[in-house]
Amino acid sequence: MPTLPRPIDSTLHGVTDYTVGTLLMTAFPKLAGIEGTESASQVRVAGAIHAGYSTVTDYPLGIVKLLPYKAHLAIDALGAIAVAATPFLTGQWTKGRRHWVPHVGLCLFELMSLAMTDPTGKGDFHGDIEAVRQANLEDPHRKIYNGGPAVTRTSA
Amino acid sequence: MRATVYSGRNTVQVENVPDPKILNDRDAIVKITSTAICGSDLHLYDGYVPTVKRGDIFGHEFMGEVVETGRGVSNLAVGDRVVVPFPIACGNCWQCEHEMYSLCENSNPNAGIAEKFFGHPTCGIFGYSHITGGYAGGQAEYARVPFADVGPIKIEDDLTDEQVLFLSDIFPTGYMGADFCDIKGGEVIAVFGAGPVGQFAIASAVLLGAERVIAIDQYDYRLQMALNKAGATDVIDFSEDADIVEQLKVLTGGRGPDAVIDAVGMEAAHGHGALHAVERVKQANRLESDRGHALRDAILACRPGGIVSVIGVYGGLMDKFPTGAFMNKGLTMKTGQCHVHRYLRPLYEHIRAGDIDPSFVVTHRLGLDLAPDAYETFKHKQDECMKVVLKP
Repeated sequence: MPTLPRPIDSTLHGVTDYTVGTLLMTAFPKLAGIEGTESASQVRVAGAIHAGYSTVTDYPLGIVKLLPYKAHLAIDALGAIAVAATPFLTGQWTKGRRHWVPHVGLCLFELMSLAMTDPTGKGDFHGDIEAVRQANLEDPHRKIYNGGPAVTRTSA
Repeated sequence: MRATVYSGRNTVQVENVPDPKILNDRDAIVKITSTAICGSDLHLYDGYVPTVKRGDIFGHEFMGEVVETGRGVSNLAVGDRVVVPFPIACGNCWQCEHEMYSLCENSNPNAGIAEKFFGHPTCGIFGYSHITGGYAGGQAEYARVPFADVGPIKIEDDLTDEQVLFLSDIFPTGYMGADFCDIKGGEVIAVFGAGPVGQFAIASAVLLGAERVIAIDQYDYRLQMALNKAGATDVIDFSEDADIVEQLKVLTGGRGPDAVIDAVGMEAAHGHGALHAVERVKQANRLESDRGHALRDAILACRPGGIVSVIGVYGGLMDKFPTGAFMNKGLTMKTGQCHVHRYLRPLYEHIRAGDIDPSFVVTHRLGLDLAPDAYETFKHKQDECMKVVLKP
C-alpha cells in the first residue's frame, strides 16, 4: 500500500505547533463562527495546552527541552482524538454542526499532520546519499582530518 | 546544454536548456569545467529569495575555457582558462571606478526590482534570482559572461580547478570579511559560521596576521576543518552550550573579540529559547525574512569599539536588531556582497605563492547530473559535506 511522504521534520512540526496553537487561541473561534460558545472555550484551551507542551518539548523550537519528541507526537494524537470526542461526550453536538464540525476538522488536520511528520525528526531528506558517496571523487573524512594546514600563518 | 534548474522549493533538476549566445559585444561564452554549490544558493533553494522562477539556472561560482568572445573583448581569447567573479560589473560606473564592483550601477537589468527591496539597485549576479538581473547561472555546461573584458581572471598556471575556482566567490568573500576587521597584527577575531565562507574568513584572518581566530559552529566536522586546515586557534561548539557571547568572553578574558565576522547570514540556526522559536515561526509564515541570531550575537559579543564584519547574506527584514548594544558600544559595521574583482589578483598571487591552498574546503566532487542529490547532501550536511564541486 503506498505510504504518504513524511516531509515534516521536527523544526517544521514545531513551527506548526506554535502557529496553530496561537491561531486556536486567537482568531480561529471567530473565523469558525463559534465565538461566544462553549466550543470556542474548548478550542482555546486545546490551543493553549498544545502550545504549552510544545515549549517543553525536546525539539529545535522547544524552550525547555524536557518532553521527548515522540512523546510529544503521541500527545498530539491523543489530544486530537480528545478534541474530536469532546462534543459527543458533552452532548453539545446536538446543538448543531458548528458545535462539533470544528472539533472533528481540527482532529483530522492534526492526524494528517502527524501522518506527514517524520518521528525521527529528520524530515524529507530526499537525496540519494549512497549515490553521492559512490560518485564522490573526494574522501571527506581525509580532507578534514588528515594532512597539515592549508594556510601559512603570517606575522603582520 | 545541461543545467541545474530550479523546480520548486527544495527541488532542482538537471535539464536540457538552450545554449547561451553572445548578446553584446562585451560578452564571452565560457565552457564550464568546474562549478560549485554555494551556501547562498540554499537561500534560493529553500524559497527565501523572492522572484526565483521555475527553470532559472542556478550557480554563481564557476570557471572554464573561453569558447567565444564578442567584438569588444580584447583581453581574452578563445582557449583562455578563466575564473568568473560572481558579481557582474561594467568597470565604468562610479561604483566600479571606486572598486565597489558588487554595487555596479549598470549590470542589473532589473534594477527597478532591486530598488524596491533595497532603496537602490545593486549589481547583477549570475544565477541569483530576478532581483539581481535574472542572469543564467553557471551550474551548467556553458555560461554567457557579460562585461567579460572586466570580470574574468585568466589562469596561466598548472593549478587545479579546485585550487582557483573559489576566487569566484567564497575566497574573496571570506577575505573581504577579514579585511573589514582592520587587522594590524595581534587581534582576536571571532568567526560565526564555519561553513565554506567561514573557513576562508578564518584562513584570511590568519593570512592577515590575527593572533587568535575563534571558529563558532555546531557541527564538529566543520570545527575540525577550521582547526586542522583553516588555521583557527580556538573553537566554540554551540551545540553543547548555546551561550556563545559568554563563551567568547571567557576566551578573551572578559573583553570580547576585537572583531566579529558574521559568515552565517539569514538562515542562522543557532538560536535558542523562546526568541528562536518565535523567529522560526515568523520566518516560516513569511512574517520576517531573515533570522538574526548570528548577527545579534555578533553585536553582543564584540568588544566595545570593535568591528562587526557581515559577509553572511541577508535579504530582507529582521526583527529585534540590538540597536542599543550597537550604538552604546560604539561598534563599526562593515558589510556587503563581495567586491570580488578588487581581490582577484592579490588572492591569486597568494595561491601561486603557496600561502594558501583553497582546495582544502572541497569534500565532494561530483558530476553535474548528481546536482539534485548534491544539493540535499550539502543542505542537510550529510556525509561531512563542506563544499560540493560539480563537473559538467
